[in-house]
Amino acid sequence: MKISAGLPTGVSAALFDSARRRRRLEARLSALLEERGFAEVLLPILDYFEPYRPLLTGPRLEQLYRFVDRDGQLLVLRGDFTPMLARLLAPHLDELELPLRLYYRGDVVRHQPLRPGRMREYSQVGAELLGGDEAEADEKMLTLFFDLLLAARGGRARRAESGQAPGQQGATKEHTGPYSTEEQHSWTGCMDARMQRDVRHGLPEARGEAPAPGDGEEQTLRVVLGVAGALDEALLAAAGEREASDLALRIASRDRTAARRAGLADVVERGYPTDLSVLGVTAEAVSGLLGLRDRLSSAYRDAGVEVEVDLAEFAAAALDPRIGVGNGPRGYYDGLMFAAYAPGTALALGVGGRYDKVFRSLSGDCSAVGFSLGLDLLLELGLAEARS
Amino acid sequence: MITIGLPKGRNLGPARAALAAAGLNLDGLDSSRLRQRFPDQNVLGTPVEVLLLKDWDLPLYVEHGIVDCAIVGSDVLEETQPDVFRPLQLKDGRSRLSLIAETPELPKRSGQLRAATRYPTWAARLLAARNLHVEVIHLASSIELGPLLDLTDVAVDIVQTGGTLRAHDLHEVEVLAAVAPTFVVNRASFHAHRRRLSGLLGALEETETGDD
Repeated sequence: MKISAGLPTGVSAALFDSARRRRRLEARLSALLEERGFAEVLLPILDYFEPYRPLLTGPRLEQLYRFVDRDGQLLVLRGDFTPMLARLLAPHLDELELPLRLYYRGDVVRHQPLRPGRMREYSQVGAELLGGDEAEADEKMLTLFFDLLLAARGGRARRAESGQAPGQQGATKEHTGPYSTEEQHSWTGCMDARMQRDVRHGLPEARGEAPAPGDGEEQTLRVVLGVAGALDEALLAAAGEREASDLALRIASRDRTAARRAGLADVVERGYPTDLSVLGVTAEAVSGLLGLRDRLSSAYRDAGVEVEVDLAEFAAAALDPRIGVGNGPRGYYDGLMFAAYAPGTALALGVGGRYDKVFRSLSGDCSAVGFSLGLDLLLELGLAEARS
Repeated sequence: MITIGLPKGRNLGPARAALAAAGLNLDGLDSSRLRQRFPDQNVLGTPVEVLLLKDWDLPLYVEHGIVDCAIVGSDVLEETQPDVFRPLQLKDGRSRLSLIAETPELPKRSGQLRAATRYPTWAARLLAARNLHVEVIHLASSIELGPLLDLTDVAVDIVQTGGTLRAHDLHEVEVLAAVAPTFVVNRASFHAHRRRLSGLLGALEETETGDD
């Protein structure tokens, strides 16, 4: 019988050097998390489907791999660490000493259309902070997010020594060396095609082409901040209940014409309105976010991290039930939201936010903020930077 | 470097005109070459490279990040649903997606209607929204031949001037959607080149776009 080496759509194997690279990256990030007082949790790959009905919105619920096992139970493969952790902890909140710092690493699987850089199995490292003062927790977790991103880049671009951000206790030391050919030919699934071409055929100089001149702007790691539901009141005021969902999606797509007609041109051009009062009740939260941006910008600018407030990025994360866009693809966030981008990667390197409502929907009362980083994308970013 | 994807075909003219009006002059563009650099042109100081690609392929090139941004027909975007930003639509080069038949009214059939189109997903979505349950047949080109040769009852296709309809004695039963050349941007590129792309988009918005 002939045995095929093929794998199902959307998954790939990490062999030899690529496996070593991934484990090294995991170890580097885990070491930093342990250093910051986060304890590792190991979560099962299988769970019941039923607990996720109230926790996940339409698209994310649909993406879960579910099946009936031999006992007749409807089960799911792990599709997201955060709600799984929340549902396990919620019944025990009274017994836990808060604040609680936890981290995880492992794979999640989601059935979704294949897009550039988007597999169906992802490797993640993530961290959650439960309890404590919310504003302080948000800032601490963002600081940790930045530091992990910088650590993942092999310490090449560290944040400024001056202007230490809260929670920072030391920069990472490990530096990844040049990558072997085998490494460069591995894990290309999540790399954008321009990067893949360079890896396979050499840098533009080697191909006899003039190198693309760098202009600085595109070399920067960018983290965008927002608040779930920040635009809800403005969207309803501009478009009414019937059209607010469509307007939210248009603004998320940076549609300048729709935004201008709605009086929200500033939101797509600079990320937030000049006059915050148009946001209504969320103006104060966005004002606080601008302050947080300023503090983080000054602490991390020299490390090559740009921080921006971009409410358009999270416009589809509506909280008002009259805006039926289902809170966007990651529907459980209800406060601060953030995402990190780097040039040459097709998707966000990591995303996170505050999700207090997950515990509320589980009859628990606990503030919670967390994030996850995509290891596959970070490895590709490491490859690209090693080459440059 | 900012890499711009431009479409071969009907949207190339409006795309070039829009960019020229926004200050990006691509006069030397050679339609027989895939990749061209314009050292004397820039977007807020960044050199520009242009890739000429087929309209249907452009969304994928933008999504992959091979080109940072592109101008592509909204019909292609609606059919392929790429995960890209769509900051604005150009005023010139607009057309419409219409329901086309041999009669001015929708043909009466006891069973399900059949429609020929090059946009099977988008057409099915638009027709279902009108409570029209239609069997959609995918054709690659010459969509008007569907009803003319009795392959289908109707066609769903782009109408620009109506010349093709008149030539074949066909009727535009209903306009289903507006179609426009659309400026699209890769997500990561949008953040990486935010200031520069905002400058270009602002110039484009001032010159070539406008209300319907």
